[in-house]
Amino acid sequence: MSWIDLPALLLSPDASRQITLAPALNHALLNHALLNHAQLCHDAGRLAAALKARNIQHIAVHCRDSATLATCLLGAWQADIAVYLPADLQPASYSALADHVELWLGDSDLAHFTAPHTLIAEQTQGLAARQLNDTVPLLWVCTSGSTGAAKRIGKTLAQLNAELCALESLWGEALHDAHILGSVSTQHLYGLLFRLLWPLAAGRTFGREQLGYPEDVLHQAQRSTRCAWVASPALLKRLPEHLEWAGLRQTMRAVFSSGGPLPAAASAQIAQWLTHAPIEIYGSSETGGVAWRQASDHWQPLPSVELSQDASGALQVRSAFLPAGHCEHTADAVELTAQGMRLLGRLDRIVKLEEKRIALPALEQRLESHPWVSDARLGLLQQGRAHLGAVIALNAAGVFALRNQGRQHVTQTLRTHLRGYCENLALPRRWRLLQQLPFNSQGKLSQQHIEQLLNAERARQPELISQRVEGDNLLCELLIPLDLAHFSGHFPGTPIVPGVLQIDWAIALARQLLDLKGEYAGMEVIKFQRLLRPGDRPQLSLRFDQAKQKLHFSLRHNDEACSSGRIRIEVAHV
Amino acid sequence: MSQLELDIKNLIIDALGLEDMSANDIDSQQALFGDGLGLDSVDALELGLAIQKRYGIKLDAESKDTREHFANVAKLAAFINSHQTA
Repeated sequence: MSWIDLPALLLSPDASRQITLAPALNHALLNHALLNHAQLCHDAGRLAAALKARNIQHIAVHCRDSATLATCLLGAWQADIAVYLPADLQPASYSALADHVELWLGDSDLAHFTAPHTLIAEQTQGLAARQLNDTVPLLWVCTSGSTGAAKRIGKTLAQLNAELCALESLWGEALHDAHILGSVSTQHLYGLLFRLLWPLAAGRTFGREQLGYPEDVLHQAQRSTRCAWVASPALLKRLPEHLEWAGLRQTMRAVFSSGGPLPAAASAQIAQWLTHAPIEIYGSSETGGVAWRQASDHWQPLPSVELSQDASGALQVRSAFLPAGHCEHTADAVELTAQGMRLLGRLDRIVKLEEKRIALPALEQRLESHPWVSDARLGLLQQGRAHLGAVIALNAAGVFALRNQGRQHVTQTLRTHLRGYCENLALPRRWRLLQQLPFNSQGKLSQQHIEQLLNAERARQPELISQRVEGDNLLCELLIPLDLAHFSGHFPGTPIVPGVLQIDWAIALARQLLDLKGEYAGMEVIKFQRLLRPGDRPQLSLRFDQAKQKLHFSLRHNDEACSSGRIRIEVAHV
Repeated sequence: MSQLELDIKNLIIDALGLEDMSANDIDSQQALFGDGLGLDSVDALELGLAIQKRYGIKLDAESKDTREHFANVAKLAAFINSHQTA
């Protein structure tokens, strides 16, 4: 293993320097079973020649396969081409960049993409290897920013390389020759640096695929002698206990987490399994890495990072990872002490209610300390006066309380739990109860999304999880929402799905999925045998008897019949 | 519970966005402010406006009694009654 600075990465091709340990993902975009440094340099040179022949200045790159991404980046950079990394493949991300780039390169099947190997195949001779330009921004990361408006942030290779050197100086020794596994996207700065550019510069091998599930990570980790894991809080706080994590003590050298704070309990649990807590990185697309911590409340600045505060208490950052002389103003309120930095929450997460400042993160932490709550997020609602609403993910104990004591008991208990931690005016008045909060794969949930959830009416329909045809029957797997509107009245202390509603759902789903026409005209042999309650996942079976004009339905839960019957349908004859 | 008390309770729930409450959850004698229902001074302002609009009565800002009328639903109903029959 030997370090190569990012701008010098293509200068001395080295076939003994391994890049990946596994063949390319399904498309086999690149033909090498295992990619080594010499092959990477060769492909990058030919790609650079093909791009140069087309006189291209700006490209967008999206790759699921991180080794393909490495080839695209180095090829483009060798031809002095600026690379834009869209965060995802959504139409909005496409239109935000469509006017800025001349070519979309990557392993997507979408029509506007060109596959890198078709360009590489055009050229027999690559562009001559050279030191890459590190003074103009050759990488642009795209983010939606905190306001939701698309934003592009340029980075020079000097900025990126400075950050890689900082990471290596802190953790290079501990990682040694670890194989790098990743569960975050390489389209974002954190994943790009930690999963791809850092191992490339350090001479470590890396996994090509984004491993979305803990089982995949465990499986991959068990196959290597030493590895490290680039992860996010969304995954790290949901690791199933039954998996053999303790078996990785010898193998897993480090776990990295970034994108949001990792709850202390999740950190402690992982420390217990692996004997070391995850290393958390605090930073953003704008700033790059800023600080790190490991099982501590206090963050330490990364090498070369200078921290200060503005008048409102917001963090300001200067570092070698930012343009020279630039001071980045963040929206994070912090406290700087001799022990390090404490994060107090985003300034945009401190709301004003009737001139009083309320820090939402503090109330969320209090709610999350209740034994029924796994996650809590608060948002502002304008209904007459401004007040707070809470979106709560209930854990198993919370769902149990809801099923047996009712919704109002749960919301009142949580309100009471907040008393003494805030003024009455900050007690949430609207509650949305879910089994999981809809975090994205970066572990983020925007304030806008929280407020959408709060403003939406409570559900009146079951959630349709899946459907399949079996013989004459359509089988639908349903989820009874914790928040079903009917539970408030039916019944306040014991929420159960009203029988008439089950019949209503059967008809509505038959209209939607079986294209049932006609009107309800009566029912026969209706039986209700078992109660359906919040969080249940019953199976609904539907069959329409065309000859008799009857809709047969049955709802079963855990192989017990809940309800069944026949509904007569009349088609109006004109 | 009189019809007027029921109306007032529904008005409180609507005006203050107490989505998880129903009229049956508010006792007519229960204190609206402070520890009771947990309403605060801004709610008092909102509720005052809603009552004045709905029942076409004017609250006297100077009167010490105004605070007393808002102590609970029963007192509020008696207050509205006395104004509507007067």
